[in-house]
Amino acid sequence: MFSEIFRFELRQQLKSPLFWMIALAFASLAFAAAGSDHIRIGGGIGNTHRNAPFVVVQMLTFFTILGMFLITVFVAGAALRDFEAGTAELFFATPLSRRAYLGGRFAAGYVAAVVVLIVVALGLLTGVMMPWVDPARLGPTSFGTYLYAFAVAVLPDLFFLSALLFLLATLTRSMLSTYIGVIAFFVLWQVAGTAVEGPDHLTLGAIIDPFGLGAFDVATRYWSAEDRNTRLPEIAGLLLVNRALWVSLGVALIAAAMAWFRPDREGLRLWRRKRAVVAAVEAPAPAHAVALPAVELRSGTAARFTQYWKLATFDTRGVLFGVAFLVMLAFGLFNLTGSLLLGNEMFGTKVYPVTHLMTEAMDGSYNFLLIIIIGFYAGELVWRERGARISEVTDAFSLPDFIPLLSKLTALTAVIVVFLGAGALVCAAYQLIRGYTHIEPGLYLSYIALNTLRFVLVGALALFLQVIANNKFLGYLLIVIYFISRIALTQLHFDHHLYNFGSAPDAPYSDMNGYGHFLAGDLWFRAYWGCLAVALLVVAALFWARGVAQGWKERSRIALARFRAPSRALFAASLAGFVAIGAWIYYNTNVINKYIPGDVAKRQQAEYETLYRKYLDLPQPKITDVRADVDIFPHERRVEVRGHYALANRTDAPISDLHVRLPTDMKLVSAKFAPHDVVSDDRVHGYTIYRLKTPLAPGASMDFDYTLQYWSRGFRNTPDDTHVVDNGTFITSQMLPHFGYDEGGQLEDRNDRREYGMGPVPRLPKIDDEAARRYSLLGRDADWVTFEATLSTEPDQIALAPGYLEKEWTDNGRRYFHYKMDKPILDFFSFQSAAYAVKRDKWNDVALEVYYDPEHAFNTDRMIDAMKKSLAHFSTAFSPFQFRQMRILEFPGYERFAESFANTVPFSESIGFIADLRDPESVDYVFYVTAHELGHQWWAHQVIGAMVQGVTMLDETFAQYSALMVQEQEYGAAKMRKFLKYELDRYLHGRAGEVVEEMPLALVENQPYIHYRKGSIVMYSLKDYLGEGVVDKTLARYDHDKAFQQPPYTTTKEFLDYLREDAGPERASLITDLFEKMTIFDDRITAATAKKRDDGKYDVTLSLHAGKTYVDGVGKETRATFDIPVDLAVFAKSPDGQEQNEKVLFLEKRMVADGDSSVTVTVEGEPYEAGIDPYNKLVDRVSEDNRMRVGK
Amino acid sequence: MLTIHDLSKTYANGVQALKGVTLDIPKGMFGLLGPNGAGKSTLMRTIATLQDADTGSIRLNDLDVLANKPEARRVLGYLPQEFGVYPKVSAEAMLDHFAVLKGVTAGGERKALVEALLKQVNLWDVRKRKLGTFSGGMRQRFGIAQALIGNPQLIIVDEPTAGLDPEERNRFLNLLAAIGENVVVILSTHIVEDVTDLCPRMAIIAQGQVLLAGQPADAMRALDGRVWRRTVPNDAIEGYRNRLTVLSTRLAGGKTIVHVLADSRPDDGFDAVAPDLEDVYFGQLRRQAATARAA
Repeated sequence: MFSEIFRFELRQQLKSPLFWMIALAFASLAFAAAGSDHIRIGGGIGNTHRNAPFVVVQMLTFFTILGMFLITVFVAGAALRDFEAGTAELFFATPLSRRAYLGGRFAAGYVAAVVVLIVVALGLLTGVMMPWVDPARLGPTSFGTYLYAFAVAVLPDLFFLSALLFLLATLTRSMLSTYIGVIAFFVLWQVAGTAVEGPDHLTLGAIIDPFGLGAFDVATRYWSAEDRNTRLPEIAGLLLVNRALWVSLGVALIAAAMAWFRPDREGLRLWRRKRAVVAAVEAPAPAHAVALPAVELRSGTAARFTQYWKLATFDTRGVLFGVAFLVMLAFGLFNLTGSLLLGNEMFGTKVYPVTHLMTEAMDGSYNFLLIIIIGFYAGELVWRERGARISEVTDAFSLPDFIPLLSKLTALTAVIVVFLGAGALVCAAYQLIRGYTHIEPGLYLSYIALNTLRFVLVGALALFLQVIANNKFLGYLLIVIYFISRIALTQLHFDHHLYNFGSAPDAPYSDMNGYGHFLAGDLWFRAYWGCLAVALLVVAALFWARGVAQGWKERSRIALARFRAPSRALFAASLAGFVAIGAWIYYNTNVINKYIPGDVAKRQQAEYETLYRKYLDLPQPKITDVRADVDIFPHERRVEVRGHYALANRTDAPISDLHVRLPTDMKLVSAKFAPHDVVSDDRVHGYTIYRLKTPLAPGASMDFDYTLQYWSRGFRNTPDDTHVVDNGTFITSQMLPHFGYDEGGQLEDRNDRREYGMGPVPRLPKIDDEAARRYSLLGRDADWVTFEATLSTEPDQIALAPGYLEKEWTDNGRRYFHYKMDKPILDFFSFQSAAYAVKRDKWNDVALEVYYDPEHAFNTDRMIDAMKKSLAHFSTAFSPFQFRQMRILEFPGYERFAESFANTVPFSESIGFIADLRDPESVDYVFYVTAHELGHQWWAHQVIGAMVQGVTMLDETFAQYSALMVQEQEYGAAKMRKFLKYELDRYLHGRAGEVVEEMPLALVENQPYIHYRKGSIVMYSLKDYLGEGVVDKTLARYDHDKAFQQPPYTTTKEFLDYLREDAGPERASLITDLFEKMTIFDDRITAATAKKRDDGKYDVTLSLHAGKTYVDGVGKETRATFDIPVDLAVFAKSPDGQEQNEKVLFLEKRMVADGDSSVTVTVEGEPYEAGIDPYNKLVDRVSEDNRMRVGK
Repeated sequence: MLTIHDLSKTYANGVQALKGVTLDIPKGMFGLLGPNGAGKSTLMRTIATLQDADTGSIRLNDLDVLANKPEARRVLGYLPQEFGVYPKVSAEAMLDHFAVLKGVTAGGERKALVEALLKQVNLWDVRKRKLGTFSGGMRQRFGIAQALIGNPQLIIVDEPTAGLDPEERNRFLNLLAAIGENVVVILSTHIVEDVTDLCPRMAIIAQGQVLLAGQPADAMRALDGRVWRRTVPNDAIEGYRNRLTVLSTRLAGGKTIVHVLADSRPDDGFDAVAPDLEDVYFGQLRRQAATARAA
């Protein structure tokens, strides 16, 4: 019986065109994703092979999850088939067992779903075999991998999913409810996933993920590219637990479906609604002639409006009270709340819920549901009358075709507004709960209006597609194709909004600058697409189905007949508007601004390198003096610079050619310097070559005077002109002329380079390259410069540059500031202008200032405090502070960073200014970032390294260490552990994603996961082993000798010499392990037992494993001997159960034997936990096994 | 007066649903009789402006229905063969909604109209009930109420009595009879009694063709003396079918009663009977089948 049901059902499934449509759509997606970078499924794969086992398993798992919504059709379809076809009673009247019936149907639905994934696997397999796939990015094809992926991921995942769907479908007997259940499950999965993110919850996250991704992630978290290419995790441990758990849960769900299934008409009703039983007593109908009151059938404008309004409210109510909408709204709000509660954290610290962050939360975790809602309800609304089989009645009414269409558009609009409004209300409520009262209703309203506009355009298109398709599922398919094509076009670099329906350069919002000038561009594009939407709606009205379904020919004939004067006029007007606005947009984006698609930009980068890299070592003069008059016109988005350089020939040969580099959106109005000819003037790559009539002699200097203009007019296709804005101008020395070839403009991505034929990624010069020590980190065309600038701006703004304010005045309605630096600085500075509030204080003789947006006063005291403490600590530990003034300047959150210029630190509004530090437990990253940037006043602005391997260790790692020490002073060692755990995780994660070669810290090649993350851990370990005094002493000595040095610049090699000298020979191998090798420790405690002695003390015996491994740049590991002392510890139980509050009974650094060994220590007090390196000071891939409960 | 002239329609799948249908339909009830699949619904939908014909014309008095659909819809009341309702909406609200869509946009007028209509179809007492709880008969009466909105000149009801119990059917037909005095009412059905009971004029259509049009009485009179009846054993029916034109067979008390069409008494067992409309109907169908076989 079972097999008969199974075979029958499977035949039904495999016969359905929808089945093959879905399978093929999926397979082609897999095919495309496997063969190109343009379609990405799952994460980027970097150095990993396209067909690496790791990638195959991830992709197949991802497709399984993605398929959840489509697989619903098969599995729930199998469960519901008989109820929908009305054949249920035929089946239930037979002596068929419930188990055979349900089992057969389930098995068939499951197998159908598996078949889809098999087709997907074929797509992946063939995708990587295509000729256009770079063979360098392929490994050997292994069918075992596919078997593994099916056995470990696809089959169990689908089993659980199918069981869940089957249960939902058999219980609710409704496809809609099943779908709602699936969405609920999906959202819960997402929320749970977000809740257990971060290194503290890995185990929990691994177990509760029904798809095993979490467990897979734990097993492979720190795998190198080499591992990913060759290995698969063993089916053991967490992975096995997870798989077993969810498969058994699937079995339980099926058992529940069988137990609760009732083969009768009613099905299972979870709640019984009382139905009024109305007596069917009816009086006979009156047989007299009809005498109805006379009415007038009106068709005037007022009547049409009444009809439209009636229908629109009717349709709107139908959607708003629809279960699907309410459920999706509930999910959306649930998801939004989750994101509000958990989002925007840095190191686990919250930010103030400023209104624009609330709208960002809506963007990220709420509005996406609107796409589903619009797509779904466009279909529901267009098919509403036909679905209720009421269309034959209403179609015969004398109602114009456009009224139902318009009412449905109105209903969609209302849904969008209600949905966004509900989200905004929840956000506002959240703000109040957090005790934040500066709710900006105006911002909420404009946000809702802008987004309504955006989604209504999609809604209009969806309605159009549904009407034209005249088949609900075809309509849905078209809408899905639209969404996919939008993503695909962008990935293929067809990213102009002019041909991407409904898209626009979304105006970025900043608290300082509002929507700024970006709003106009956004609105023009919306108007452009709005015109097209109107034209589409006219066409939709022409094709509006009325009466019986007809073929294309007949529909076109009817449409043509309907195409009369009013529709023609509207159609023509909207198309004219579309074309006219399109032309205006083109003028703005492509004529007065440059539109450069992503691939063209990359090609230009490649050309730049091909054309000019040959000049890399061409001797150029160095800038020795910088003077500039900078007039900032924020509201015109214009800057005029009249600049002066003094250039010196510091080589021992004459310099005849001057190579001037300038960003392409800066216009060089004039350049005045010694008599010269223009050899070439390349505006595309911003590279001009001049030949001096008289070469600049060695040791001689020349003046270089120039006038520059930056003027961002109109609007762009991409809102990237964020430098000069109404409030918050921020330009840097990068935008001024520079000399000689710069490697910064080259293509850096390995795959991009291969695609454009550029050879391997250029690396930093080797640390032993003495010639390279001529240049510092900050460029080849300057060492230390004298600096002076006069800035002018609007009268309500303050303009700032490094240096001290010499004079401030007003002239001609503009405000002028004259800054001058009294000692040489790096050729690295910024010009800023905004309407600032200023907080002032003093540390000793140093003036401290914070320039901030008046709404963002929350943490300015904290910044001042951090500046004071940092200055106090660094000037004692390292060397005196070189400036008389220190400033922090807020700039708009278009970018998220803080950067340290001489005595001036621009700080993005989105970092720190709005951090909510009211909870004393939180990591105070405002303090940390401020301390780090102040650290750079020493480690960059005093000591700057040569542009060779290891250079960023000398500024970033040391700034990181400086910040850690001030932080530890301020908050104590316990909090450092929390911080360092994040750093360790980010380092291990970062190295797994390395695409070129991991380097030891002392040879770091500008790799942030090394110079920041590993740097923190290494320096903290170093301090732990050597003591803070020794490390600080070394740094102070090093600073003393190297500060403000001229070329040749210093290297990490020199620093390590200082360090070895101070640390003594017994630490030599430690220093080698930390700085010069990539060392990974494997410390574990395998058993811990305690024995109470007669004197009341305890003997605790620890069984330990200590291992050390050296890793090379591509992840190959070599076992080494564990040869450094390590922390051994025993803890007593803490009163509150918190690990961080456990009392230390024993803590000592001891040498332990390499490999397994055993150590016994004696403690006073009852032991609770014991550990080896319990504070995770060493780089260890598994930190959980460093501690263990003590057994009796 | 509704004039249908030479109306033909062939579907994309090749089915010829209407073949040169020509009919004159005066005021009053007009019965359109035909078996399932005869083309009745296609004809009804075409008259109701919901479908276009390939050729032919339909005129209501001076109005060309096919060329002026919006005008035609203003004078049209249509109750389709199958129609659904929004199950969660009350009868009154739904009728009010329909009234607006039909053009009764003046609030006061509409309120009075809805009330009168619901009383007319005897649903006034249940006006607040959700349509989803209505029985089949109540739903059909609701359907006729909406068809009556705006004093239509032409009312089309497509197989309205299918599935109704006898009492409901009576109630419904009474209602139709009351309406059908001053306007054109076309009632399509495959139940002969509906026409017998109600319609002064009728047409029989099968396979897209009009087989007969006129007054039921005339049609019956034409068969006078040619319809014969006999009670026969069940196993003998096939023999009769082969020899004679069997109009209908009916079981009665375990035996079968056959009606045959013949110019003279086929054999002694047959008695002459007064022809009824059913005999006319089956007579037409048999004749069409015979012509088709011959051709």
